[in-house]
Parts: sequence; structure tokens; C-alpha cells
Amino acid sequence: MPSPPRATTPLRLLTGLAGRHWRRVLLGSICFACAGATAMSQLWMIGKVIDDGLIARDGEAFARWIGIIACTAIVQGFLWSRGFRLFGTADARAQRSIVRRLTDRLNLAGTGIRGRVSAGELVNLPSEDSRRATRAIAETGFLLNNTAMFTTGVVLVWTIHPLLGVVIVAGSLLTALLAGPLLGRLQQRQSDYRAHIGHLTADAADIVGGLRVLRGIGGDVLFAERYRARSDALRDMGYQVANPSSWIHALRHSMPILFVAAITWTGAILAVRGDITIGGLASASSFATIFIAVSGNFLSSANFFVAAWVGAKRIARVLSVESDIADEGAATGATGTLRDGVSGLTVQVGALTVVVTAETAPAQEACERLARYRESDARWGDLPLADFALAEVRERIMLLTDEDYLFAESLRSTLRVDPDAALAAVEAACAADVYTGLGSDLDAQVAEGGRNLSGGQRQRLRLARALAAEPETLLAVEPTSAVDSHTESLIAERVAATRAEATTVVVTASPLWLAHADRVVWMVDGKVHAEGAHSDLLADPDYRRLASHLETA
Amino acid sequence: MSTVVPKPRKAFEDGPADEAQERLPIAGPAEVRRAFVRILADDRGRAVQVLVLYLLAAVFSTALPVLLGQVVDGIGAGWSVARINAVCSVLVGCVAVQFVLSRLGRRAGYRFGERAAAQLRERVVVRVLRLPLDRVERAGRGDLGTRTAADVNTVADLLRDHGPIVATSLIEVVVLYAAMFVIDPLLGLAALVTLVPLMLAARRYLRRASGAFVEQRAALSEAAETLSASGAGSQTVAALALQRRRRDLGYRRGEQVFGTFARVVVLQSEFFMVLLWLNRIQVALVLLVSGLWYFEGGLTVGAAAAAATIAVRISNPTNAVMTHLGEFQQGAAALARIEGVGLVESAPREAVPSGSDLRLDAVTFGYGDGPDVLHGLSLHPRPGERLVVVGPSGAGKSTIARLLAGIDRPRSGAATLGGVAVGDIGVEELRRRVVLVTQEHYVFTATLRDNLVLAAPEAGDATLLEALRRVDAGWALEAGLDVMLGDEHRRLSTAEAQQIALARVVVADPDVVILDEATAGIDPASAGRVETALAAALAGRTVIAIAHQLQAAASADRIAVVEAGRIAEEGSHAELLAAGGVYAGLWHAWRGE
Repeated sequence: MPSPPRATTPLRLLTGLAGRHWRRVLLGSICFACAGATAMSQLWMIGKVIDDGLIARDGEAFARWIGIIACTAIVQGFLWSRGFRLFGTADARAQRSIVRRLTDRLNLAGTGIRGRVSAGELVNLPSEDSRRATRAIAETGFLLNNTAMFTTGVVLVWTIHPLLGVVIVAGSLLTALLAGPLLGRLQQRQSDYRAHIGHLTADAADIVGGLRVLRGIGGDVLFAERYRARSDALRDMGYQVANPSSWIHALRHSMPILFVAAITWTGAILAVRGDITIGGLASASSFATIFIAVSGNFLSSANFFVAAWVGAKRIARVLSVESDIADEGAATGATGTLRDGVSGLTVQVGALTVVVTAETAPAQEACERLARYRESDARWGDLPLADFALAEVRERIMLLTDEDYLFAESLRSTLRVDPDAALAAVEAACAADVYTGLGSDLDAQVAEGGRNLSGGQRQRLRLARALAAEPETLLAVEPTSAVDSHTESLIAERVAATRAEATTVVVTASPLWLAHADRVVWMVDGKVHAEGAHSDLLADPDYRRLASHLETA
Repeated sequence: MSTVVPKPRKAFEDGPADEAQERLPIAGPAEVRRAFVRILADDRGRAVQVLVLYLLAAVFSTALPVLLGQVVDGIGAGWSVARINAVCSVLVGCVAVQFVLSRLGRRAGYRFGERAAAQLRERVVVRVLRLPLDRVERAGRGDLGTRTAADVNTVADLLRDHGPIVATSLIEVVVLYAAMFVIDPLLGLAALVTLVPLMLAARRYLRRASGAFVEQRAALSEAAETLSASGAGSQTVAALALQRRRRDLGYRRGEQVFGTFARVVVLQSEFFMVLLWLNRIQVALVLLVSGLWYFEGGLTVGAAAAAATIAVRISNPTNAVMTHLGEFQQGAAALARIEGVGLVESAPREAVPSGSDLRLDAVTFGYGDGPDVLHGLSLHPRPGERLVVVGPSGAGKSTIARLLAGIDRPRSGAATLGGVAVGDIGVEELRRRVVLVTQEHYVFTATLRDNLVLAAPEAGDATLLEALRRVDAGWALEAGLDVMLGDEHRRLSTAEAQQIALARVVVADPDVVILDEATAGIDPASAGRVETALAAALAGRTVIAIAHQLQAAASADRIAVVEAGRIAEEGSHAELLAAGGVYAGLWHAWRGE
């Protein structure tokens, strides 16, 4: 039984990713914090330029403060850029480790991911989801930078006049309290809207995917209409979102400006009373201007953290998927026949067994049990199959089905043997046209999923790959269903010859294999009905009908 | 026994490969500009409205620094608190007006973007549906898919979100510079100085970043492809012990992702550093010039203070524009690909056939620049007959089907329906008469009903249920017509998908049906049943069935044996058996005799 999934929580994932680069993150934090503090001190210096320089008519003080502003500007830009680079690199490294961990997990989980992780998810995980999740790291840096700007700003404004400090803190809190919940609502609406965009995109993809059907049979008008209707509905939904979100955006944009006005007003009154200087008033106004950007950044950081959490949750789920086949057996060195209890199918050692059946599915399931891609009580010799080390089972028993995958790699890598053996396997599987079609070059590339080959070519290349591996036991399910009769007959002959000493099972309804069978198993409704030599079984009229295509002809 | 004839580009037989053969065109910069202008012009009124509102909002928001200057000078001139309060009330009033204007502008902007995005995506889909099929298949469906999905969304995001942000920011920048000039033209000029290096830095960044962004996307999609292949091939990985190889490949993809992201980070950090420098150097410059000018007596303290605040403020919208430059660049690239779809030329198909007599006369054909696949082949299915075309893989059977269905045109000779070239007949007219069903059977993410009614939207439930019965789709009858199909809802097996494809044809009820290995994925036992049922359903129609196996042959009216792009034999089952030729050999082999 598969062990309970290891708990990889989104939080653990994120902290783990960041924690591995803590030195980088720490150094980046220092850079960002210093950059933020420097940026805010420059605004304070503006007041100094006005008070000590202009109003005091002191040319030297004026030049000094301008010079300091210019120098700190260089330092600030440099520090910020350093911090950005350190956090950005940590982010990129985290993405790399997500791709690696997903790669390792896929290897560990093996067939366990079937039915639990969809193809679409696997496309999104290393791209969209991992990008979102690791953004949390870079965003932490920005958050620190903004916090440093905010704190330094508050302290400096406070030194100008405590009342201004109070206004700034109160104003920021008010902005956060008002804009925060509004933003939450906006996000809700936008996520509904985003979901609809997703549906519409899927509709468009559907139209492209089924273009041949839509053009060839019809329905293009129907689908175009349906798409238009949904697109218009999305537009109307967008209009509806536009109403509240325009209020929220305007509020978000205007509240800080209002806040600048409040600071200016308060500052002006303080200045008129002589409590602060003119330069102090100009500084305070500049501070308020920069706080506009800072408060906006706080809010967008919150958005990114929410998105990061969603991405991390998806990744964590997949990283917790376990194998569906337990590897707890330790026995090795199995001898004897393989036996499937459910169907009654036995595999005779050193013989070519042909399983004849009208229903392929249950026969395939029997083979999957015998090759341990499904847990069962199948036995190998004297012991249950599950008692053997999985590595031994995988090495000695090979299953070949139409669902086998062709990876994007060269023909040489696909066949995984030296050139002579590869060409021999290609010859045995009658796949010479695959080889010549790709320019008679073993280094020619097979596209992902064998997309640059026809269905029949893919099937024969898979067979060639299985033959090249020379497994002790080969269980082949309909290995020639997409091949014409001439070629099928040749393949049957060649496979029988190449695997003369080995153990082979071929599930097929084609009589062309029967001529080469050492032994025939006749399966009905997923159970062994009869077995023996082809010539003996022919005595049964039902068998004869099935085995000579009379049933379907 | 004959051997299989290798064919160089076999991939075309059951739908060309997904690999890029001949990408769809991409629109040039002039066309992209025209497209942008058209998007604006299509909703001219609202575009102008949006711009005016944004402009007014920006003007009112600059009241802040301007009035600040007044207040500073007023304090120097000994204003009373009451006077200050009055001016500051005006300030707050301006902010309130700015708030209302910016809300109205935002709303109009959203609506503009929303409408433009809807129009764009609807136009793309209409164009896609009009594309010549052979052209789409030559380009690969992935290319078209990216354009209709990802590219459309990129442009839509630009129109809805990034566009308004950049528009408001740009307008704000312009108004702030204008305000600087209003305070004092000399200060305006001082502020403009940093604009030159800013432009240069932005141009340099865009040039270098665009390539880096492309590589970044490519690295992400390669990582996605590798991982989804590992997932799709999990059983193969286990069977062939490929874990090590998948690990190496996955790690390599991770390394690529890291490399491209790190490169983008470096480029961005350099650009942003220059951006921050220029922000503050601009402030310092404005302070310097205003100070010198003040010492010369050309400026009041209030004006200097106002100018400093404006200079500080310019950085916010400037940086907003700069950080969105990339999105504009990507949006333009996406729009170029979208507009490219409209550049595909399609020959007009207007011929009207008289009757449904379909024939191939001495046709030769080859794919692309490849060698001939068919060599002067003639085939004439008689109306109402059931013709079975058999032959070894690679003989050119599917090519015959594609020529008969008008997807490809012969190099020489003629493929005609009712006396006119099949490839010249309008799509709607053609599909009423000829329908091709291939091994590739697409199931739409829609209800079972919508999946069936394609050809006959007005067909009643009874017709649809009857069609399902004819193709022996018991599961579908059980599930009902309202069941949602598609991978997310109900994933169909190959056999079930094939039954849907066949039921569609029964509903469409054309004069001629071409079945290219249409029952290849069904169990041998069910295939026989489906073929028989289909034969009954299509009684009276011309049926051309292409097969590499012989299930359907014996019951056919006539059999044509194709070998190496030529008709080797033609005749009824009995005639061909008696002739003892190729077909007889095939038949005996197939029967295991």
C-alpha cells in the first residue's frame, strides 16, 4: 500500500525555498533597507537646501546639501539595484529548485501521478505556478524596502514636527484600513472575471483543436456564435467590474493625494505660526508625495503574497503525490511462471504465448497486473509478485502498450542500445521506414510524443524500443493494431525469431500472430476460456470464427 | 509478398505533425501600428472621452504643488491663518474634483479596453474559422492555438490594465512637466535634461530585454513540456528505467530557467539603477537651477519649493511608464502574431457542383516540395456504392481521402465533384455533400448534444439519439444528451470518441462519406458491429472506406487496392479473390490461412 502522503505544506515550501538562500536574502534585505532609508533622507535634505541654502542665502550650505543629495542618489540607486539583484537571483534559484523537485517527485511517484495530476497542471506547475510562488521571495525584498522607507519617513517627518508625524501615521493607517478591504472585494470580482477569461480561452483552444471537424462537417457558425455570445457576456461582466473597480482605483489614487493635501495644510498652519520652517513644509510635502507610492506598493505586495500562496499550494500538492505501487518487497532471483489470479492467465517461460480475445481491455489489465503496474495478488513462481523488489520486476518484465510514450530525443537515445542492435530491433519491428523517413540517421530527433511520426510508425518504433531492451519477459498488448496485414505478418515472424529463447506474450485479435505462437490462450470476458496449440483450439467453431476474422468480416 | 514502401513525410497521413513546418505569417510594424490605430478609431468617441478625463484629472492633481508654492510665498508675505485655510480648502476641492474625474476616466478606460478586447478576440476567432485547412495544418496547430489564446490575452490585458495605467501615467508626466514650465521655463528646461539619458537607457534596455524575455518564455515552456512529458510517459519511465535520464533533463531545464531569469534580473537591475539615479539627479538639478535662479532674484522661495515637490513627484508616473514598457513591447509582438492570422491568403472557393459525382482523374500529388506520393491515380466511386480502399501502410490511401475531401489539390490531373474541382467548392456547399472522418476524432468541451448537432443545428433530440443508436454508443444513450464532454468533465476513450465522430456524420447525412480508418481504435468485435450499423445508417450514400485491415472489405460493393501510389487492382471481393492477385494474397494472410 502506498504510504500516507508526506506533508509538504505551502508555507514549508516557501520558507524552505527562501531559507536555502538566507545569506543572499539577508544581504539583499540590508541593501534594500539602506536604500529605503537613503531615499527618504534625501527628501529631508530638500528642506535643508531651502532653509539653510535659499532662505539663509548661504551659497556654501546650498552647494553642500545639493552635493550630498547627488551623492546619496548614486549610493541609493546602487544599493537598491544590489538588493534587487540579490533577491531576484534567490527567486530564480528557487524556481530552479522547484523544477528540480518536481522532476524528482515525478520519478519517485512514477505511475502514481496518473489520474491525480492532469497534463494541464504539469504544464502550469513549472511555469505559472512556480513563477507566482517564488515571487514571494522578491516581494519580501520590496516589502522590506517599502517598510524601511515608511519608518524612516515617519521618523524624519516627526523630527520636523510631531503633529505632521501623527498625520502621516494616521493617514497611512486610514488608507490601509479603507483601501485594504476595498481591494479585497475588487480581487474577488476580478478573480471571477479571470475565471471567465479562462473559460473563453479554453473555448478558443477548442475551436482551433477541432478546426478540421468544424470545417469538414460544420458547426463553425454554431461555435463562432457561441464564442461571440460568451465573449460579449465577458465584456458585459467586465463593464460591471468596471463600475466598482473604477471607484476603488480612483479612491486608491486620490486618498494619498488627499493625504498630501492634509499634510500641506497642517504644515502651512504650523509654518505660519513659526513652528516649522518653510524648508520643513516643502520636505513634508515631498514625503507625502513619496508615501503615495509606498502605500500603493504595500497593497500590491499583499496581492502578490496571496497569488504566491495559491501557486505554492498547487506545487505542494503535487510534491506530496506518492507512488501507487509499493516497493516493499525484497525477494530477488525469481524463477517459474507468472500467474494472474484474476484472469487465470499464466505466462509460460521461454515461449511465445498469443492471447486471443475480442475484448482487449481486460487482457491489457491482466498484463498490467503481471508487470506490476496494478497491485494484485499475481504470483511469480512460488511467491506473490509483490514480494519481489520492484527493480527486479521492472528489469525482467516489460509491458508494451499503445500508451507507451515516445520522448523528444534522438532515435539512438530512444532505442537505448548500440547502433547495430538498434538497427536490428528496427528491422525486427519493420520500422525501417521510421529510420529512412528521418534521413537514415540514428541521431535524427523524434519529436515529443512522437508527433513527427504517423500513428503506425509510432507503434512500430515503440515495439522496436521494447525489442531492443531484450527483456526476459515481454508482455505486448496489440503491438501491431495500426499496421497493415503484410507488415503485421512480417513483424510476427521476426519477433518470434528474435525472441526465440525469451518469454513473450502478445495480446491480439490478429490471426497473423497465431501461426508463430508456441501456445494460444483464448480469453473471453477477461477470463481464460481455453488454452493450447492453435491447431487444437481450431476444433472449437467459436474460436475458429474469432481467429479467422469471420466474426467481423 | 510486397514490402512496405517507405515514404519520406509520412507524418502528413494522419494529420501533419505538430512541429513547425511553415509558420503562419507575422504582421510587420506598419500593420501593427495600423491595427493599434484601428482599435482606437473603432471607438473614437470613448477614446477621446478617456483622454480628456485623464488629462483633466492630472491637471487638477497638479494644483497641489502649485498651491503649495503660493502658500510658501504667502507665508513669507505674512498671510493670515484664515487666508491659508481658504487656499488649502481650494486645494482639497481640487483633490475632490480630481477624484471624480479620475473615477470617470478609469471607468471609461475600462469600458474602452473591455470592448476593444472583446472585438479583438471575436475577430480572431472568425478569421481562424475561415483559414484554409491545409495552411493551418502546414503551420501546426500549436502556432494557431498560441495566437488565439495566449496572444489574445496578452493584448487584452494591455488594453484593459496596462494600457490605462501607462496612459494615465504618461498624461501625468506631461502635465507635471508643463506645470514645471508654468512655474518657470528655466526650471522646465532643467527638468527636461534627464529625459535624454532616460530615453537612451530605456531604448538600450528594451533592445536587450526583448530577447531575454523571449528566452525566458521559451525556457519556461520547455520546462513545462519536459515535465508534462515525464508525467504523460510515467509508465514508460518506470518500464525502461529512464528516471536518471528524466532527472538529468529536468535538472537541465531547471538550469535554463535559472539562467534566463538571472539574465533578466541583471538587465532589470541595471536599468532600474539608472532609472533611480535619474529620478534623484533630476531633483538635484531642479534644486540647483532654482537655487541659482533664486540667488539671482529670478524666483521666489515658493516657486523653488513647488518645483522641488514636482520634481519628486515626476518620478512616480515616470517609473510606472518605464516598468510597463516591456508589456507594451510584448503586446505589440502578440498583436503582430494575431494580425498575421489575417494575412493568410485563401483562394476564393465559389464553384458550385452539379450533382455529387466524385472522382479522381489521373492525379499526381506530393506534400510540400516532396516527391510524388500518388502517380497518375484515377478512382471513380459510383454514386450510392460502398467502395473500400485497401493497401499497405504508406501506399497513399489517406492522401486519396484528402484529395477527395478537397483539403489538398492535386499537382496534376483533377479531383472533381459534380464536374468542378473539389478544392474550388465553397466549404459550406462541399460539406453538405462530402464529409471526411479520420482517425483523428476531436471531442469538444461541450454537451453531447452540441458535439453532435454541428452540421444540423436544428436537429431534434430524436434524430441525435437515433444516430447514437446507429453507432452502437450505448454509454452515450445512458449518459443523455446534456452530459458535458471533454477532458475536464468526461474523458472519452478512443473508441467512444470515434463513435461520436461517426454519429456526427450520421446526423450530417451528406451524399458522400469518406471514412479514413475511422474504426481503427475500436475493439475488433465492436468495430464489426459499428461498421455494420454504419453501413445501414448510410444506405444509399456513397461510402469510401479506407482501411489497412480488411474488416470492411468483404461486404463492399467494390474494392480498390492501392500500392505505391497507384491502383493495383479493382473489383468486387469475389472477383479479386478469383483473380488471385495482391488482394487475394492480403485476404489469405489476414484470415490466417
